[in-house]
Amino acid sequence: MALTLPPDSRTPLSWPVQPGNGLRASHGIARTLRILLAMALALWFALPLVPLALWAFADRWSFPAVLPQAWGWDGVRTALAQGAVPAFGHSLLLGLLVSAVATPLGVLAARALAYHRVPYAPVVNVLLFAPLALPAFVAALGLNVLLLRLQVPPFAGVVLLLSVYALPYTSYTMRVAYGAHDLAIEEEARLLGASPWQVTWRVQLPLLAPALARAAFLAFLVGWSDYVITVLVGGGTIVTVPVLVASAAAGTGNDATVALLSAAALLPPLVLLLGLGLFGRRPTGGRP
Amino acid sequence: MRRSSSRSVRFGSIIASAAAALLAFSACSAPAPAQQGFDSWDQVTAAAKGQTVRLWMYGGDEQGNAYVDKTLIPGAATLGVTLQRVPVADTKDALNRVLTEIQAGTRDGNVDLVWVNGDNFGTGKQAGAWSCGWTSLLPNMVLTNPTDPLLANDFGTPVQGCEAPWNKAQFTIAYNSATVSEPPHTLAGLLDWAQKHPGRFTYPAPPDFTGSVFTREVLDSVSGGYKNVPLRFDQKTFDRITPALYGRLKELAPSLWRQGKTYPKTSAELNALYAGGQVDFTMTYGPAELTKLVAHGTYPAATKVLTLTEGTVGNASFLAIPATSGHQAGAMVVANLALSPQQQAAKADPRVWGQYTVLDTARLDAAQRALFEKLPQSPVVPSYDVLSHNANPELSAAWVPALDDAWRRLVLAGR
Repeated sequence: MALTLPPDSRTPLSWPVQPGNGLRASHGIARTLRILLAMALALWFALPLVPLALWAFADRWSFPAVLPQAWGWDGVRTALAQGAVPAFGHSLLLGLLVSAVATPLGVLAARALAYHRVPYAPVVNVLLFAPLALPAFVAALGLNVLLLRLQVPPFAGVVLLLSVYALPYTSYTMRVAYGAHDLAIEEEARLLGASPWQVTWRVQLPLLAPALARAAFLAFLVGWSDYVITVLVGGGTIVTVPVLVASAAAGTGNDATVALLSAAALLPPLVLLLGLGLFGRRPTGGRP
Repeated sequence: MRRSSSRSVRFGSIIASAAAALLAFSACSAPAPAQQGFDSWDQVTAAAKGQTVRLWMYGGDEQGNAYVDKTLIPGAATLGVTLQRVPVADTKDALNRVLTEIQAGTRDGNVDLVWVNGDNFGTGKQAGAWSCGWTSLLPNMVLTNPTDPLLANDFGTPVQGCEAPWNKAQFTIAYNSATVSEPPHTLAGLLDWAQKHPGRFTYPAPPDFTGSVFTREVLDSVSGGYKNVPLRFDQKTFDRITPALYGRLKELAPSLWRQGKTYPKTSAELNALYAGGQVDFTMTYGPAELTKLVAHGTYPAATKVLTLTEGTVGNASFLAIPATSGHQAGAMVVANLALSPQQQAAKADPRVWGQYTVLDTARLDAAQRALFEKLPQSPVVPSYDVLSHNANPELSAAWVPALDDAWRRLVLAGR
């Protein structure tokens, strides 16, 4: 079938070399430069993590020693004593909930903007981006008064506000995806007798899956990394990893705890990102 | 596509009506915060049973966190109060939460107890954020000295029963005795030492809390003692006595770390410089942490506390109950427990936290006094009696912004 797949579904998330594509393969000096650049970039991202990894298991590391003088589990013990395990649970829950709320909303907004005549579309676009311009601290202070008066439970308030902050990311990601999405495929499926429901589940969703995963990941990060809204709106009902890290980092001599918590906080997004890379590269067409 | 556009119109009208409802709600005037009306301690303890109390406190002190988790929380549990610790990076976060609750007229807020002092207490008191007049109900308050100036005024703000004392602290300068062979004994001597040893001393830039205290110490020193600096702020006195302060600090600047072209932005940065051996002195308002920092090797093993003959400023920190707390009785029970000789002695143990007690030893019975006498001495920090010798009172809060501002104009930018 002469289907034109949208480029989006085939383009991997971040992989410079596409195997099997002769036009994109580079040779000779260009190839060497490219590999060097990739290595330099990898180093650029990895280097800041080295002291983090060292500090996490350093019981003693005083200036001017280049490496820790004593290795051990003090950082782990202290982090556990400060409540790291429940904090990770809370953070995961918050990230997933924000993702679950902000992603469908972003999809709806993006689809409306892409395919329907939305009145004052430029204004709507600006409004969708507005949360990025509003400092979280201001929003938390101002809106918490409203949330308290409406008797919104603190945790629900946190999810609600953070979802608003995630909306620019999800709606933008989905807007781009819908921009590249070919409606003709959906129409063709309809012509072949698929119901609207089938079109959504069997055609649209698989084609948009990588973009959806990306949007959900970005929304997860918003919930995963917030301090201000969690503290001010959450009212201490949930202590998340960023709350632990920020309070530990405010003191002296907590380097091991802060490093361990920060390094551990990188893992869930990293796992999600790897999963996203695989998910995003899975061929979406060609199923009978 | 008409169907979906009509749906979006309907959706839009739902949003509009919801927004109108929100506005109507927020236009309602906030109800006044609940007043607790307890006449006796028995009523308080009875009401406290089964309550959950959230204690918001600065979470950067691991020993403080551990003390609350392992000693105070189990103690509260035996009294039927569930105590939860909420760690924050800055006490201001707790105050901000309370202020939004006040604005919303909440009666069942999420902040029941705050570890607070200084400007956070003053700001909160001005905004009516604290419950007041409850500390006289606490049975353990009789063990404190009612005329103790540190407990009656919190950085110039009268306490008036709006917070119960918890810890005492003394501004402390620490030095590395391995590199400073002849430590000075006065603040003037310290500044002279810094000039003789270029690059080995600095202080955090005001308005950092600790750097700000340091400039007030220098003001006392150049004025010929704290008695010559009136606690109450007025512009005339400021204009008369501060030229000597800024003159001395400007004279000192070229001898500071990095020729005084830059200053550590926070006390944590100064601590890091000291930990790394780049300077020979550091300063803190929380000497309790020195013992642990030396034991863990963060600070040099030869770290000692500099005792100044003219004394340093001291303060106390408190537990305050927000007016919006729905668990006032439970919070009062925890505040009273925290004041008990057993808890105060456990907290004063340098292996636990090392915070100085707010109790007056003269008012304790023999058994209670014995709790404190058997505490081990910290190898680094002297006892409170030694450290608080000649303790100076804190200037009123109005001095602080004026001094910080002039420092920035005259010392930092005036080079």
